[in-house]
Amino acid sequence: MHSSTRASATLDWRRFRRDYLPLVGVVVVSVFVLLAIFAPFIAADPTQIEMRREQDGQTLTPPFPPNPRNLFGTDQLGRDIFARVVFGLRTSLIVGIVVRGLSMVAGTLLGLVSGFFPRAVDNVIMRLTDIMLAFPVILLAMTVTAALGPGLATVCVALILVAWPDVARLVRGQVLSIREQTYVEAARSVGAGSSRILLRHILPNCMGPIIVAFSMGIPGAIMYEAGLSFFGFGIQPPTPSLGSIISDGRGYITVAPWYPGFPGLVLTLLVLSINLIGDGLIDVLNPRAAEGAGNQQSSI
Amino acid sequence: MLNYILRRILLFIPILIGLVTVLFALLNILPGDPARMMAGPFADPDAVETIREQMGFDRPLHVQYLDNIWNLARGQFGRSYQSRRPILSDLIEVFPKTVQLAVAAELISALLGIWLGVVAATRRNGWADRLIMVIAALNLSFPLFWLALMLQILFAVMLRWLPPSGYGGGFDSFIILPAVTLALPSMGLLARIARAALIEITSEDYIRTARAKGLAAALITRRHMLPNALIPIVTVIGTDFVRLLGGTPIIEVIFSWPGLGKYAYDALVFRDLPALQASVLLLALCVSLVTLLVDLLYAFINPRIRYA
Repeated sequence: MHSSTRASATLDWRRFRRDYLPLVGVVVVSVFVLLAIFAPFIAADPTQIEMRREQDGQTLTPPFPPNPRNLFGTDQLGRDIFARVVFGLRTSLIVGIVVRGLSMVAGTLLGLVSGFFPRAVDNVIMRLTDIMLAFPVILLAMTVTAALGPGLATVCVALILVAWPDVARLVRGQVLSIREQTYVEAARSVGAGSSRILLRHILPNCMGPIIVAFSMGIPGAIMYEAGLSFFGFGIQPPTPSLGSIISDGRGYITVAPWYPGFPGLVLTLLVLSINLIGDGLIDVLNPRAAEGAGNQQSSI
Repeated sequence: MLNYILRRILLFIPILIGLVTVLFALLNILPGDPARMMAGPFADPDAVETIREQMGFDRPLHVQYLDNIWNLARGQFGRSYQSRRPILSDLIEVFPKTVQLAVAAELISALLGIWLGVVAATRRNGWADRLIMVIAALNLSFPLFWLALMLQILFAVMLRWLPPSGYGGGFDSFIILPAVTLALPSMGLLARIARAALIEITSEDYIRTARAKGLAAALITRRHMLPNALIPIVTVIGTDFVRLLGGTPIIEVIFSWPGLGKYAYDALVFRDLPALQASVLLLALCVSLVTLLVDLLYAFINPRIRYA
């Protein structure tokens, strides 16, 4: 699978490292996905309130620290944090995949059009990306959700709105270099139309960077959702979200550090694992795709 | 060259107009009545109406929009609904604080990041390299707001080494927590880039020559490898600074740092259109300027780039 032809012992080690870390990522993400899918069968009811608990003859009040029944402890109402986190993972994964998927579709379409059609169309689309990229991402996303009313759907809309320009630019760049290739000229000379050339010749050859950009962009979407929800601009209760759990736990941080702690750790682990998969994909598919593909990452 | 710079700067104008348009559209579908917000929850309807007329909220939207653009073009940012002060003087007060924070964070991330990258690259295969790369990957995966919270609790509440939040006048103990939090993800990125750049250079002929003539490893790293690796690193620092500016609202809000990001956030929460608009424009202008500088720097370093 490796395109590198340089033979040196040091690079071999790099290959090794690069080969097992993505696997770790795949395993962790798979576990999270399974947890999210089978959440109702694995976790307790995340809305179950428990205001007192008898233990060793003492009456305890929540938040309860981690114990065999509550792996991650409970919140101030005695609700199981593990259960809340597992259901929050559902939201994170749905947002990550929906937002990244749709922004990839929108960005790819606009990028294809921009790179292939006349200057005027290209100019309009590129100036639009200029405008969107100049926005401070988090402020734009917050303004959009504030304007449309916060919630799962508007969070997705806001995040797609901020994510497509990077994709459009990446795809446009690919198209610009591919359209000069001999095989495109050959296709055109035998009479293939624009749409056929775009979809059958150019698009398949952009797939490497597109797949990398898809996987590298998911962590960004997940983190922005959590961030928006943390600040109250995102997912609203009763829909669970890791960001809102952390936000709820903020006030209990000294008495119950597990409350905001565990949701954040899970979020970090999820993002880290997807990033590891992305790094692996870059190695396998196209090393140059790293540029521009990871732009969504880590500003929140 | 000069032509290119001028053209790029002229391009800011449509971008800024586009920003104003998008913001204006968004803020006019925002629920909430700015006149009522300004009058306060207990004002009687007449007072609200008076404010509405005074502020011109009763005019048709397109008139408000054109008026808004015209005012901005003349450099009139208007008054903040919230502080009632001219926005320009608010901005002059908050902007330097964001610059302080961003510069401090970039310094930390650049110095530490490059150093870690060099250590990792020179000890390639070793445990130090592994550890540094794991830390780098981890730093890139932390949710910034959560990291801020955790560092705050650890260093300010539990250890009591640093003040939890607030502004102390500049480069003092107050800036450490927000700047470090902001710097950590960038540091991870820079460590990776620096390491990759150094490893790339290791296979160059001139390094083999330097090694063959018996130069000490440390000297090769310092005199031959680092200066050449700095080229990609410096351009990454530029784009990274842009990313860092984007993270300032979150950090400033959590650490109560009274900079531009917190100003913009407060304006959004208060539905303060002119203040939000002015601060977003200023942030966007910074981003555009830094991007332009990076492009110029890149072309300067690598003359093969054409000004298309």
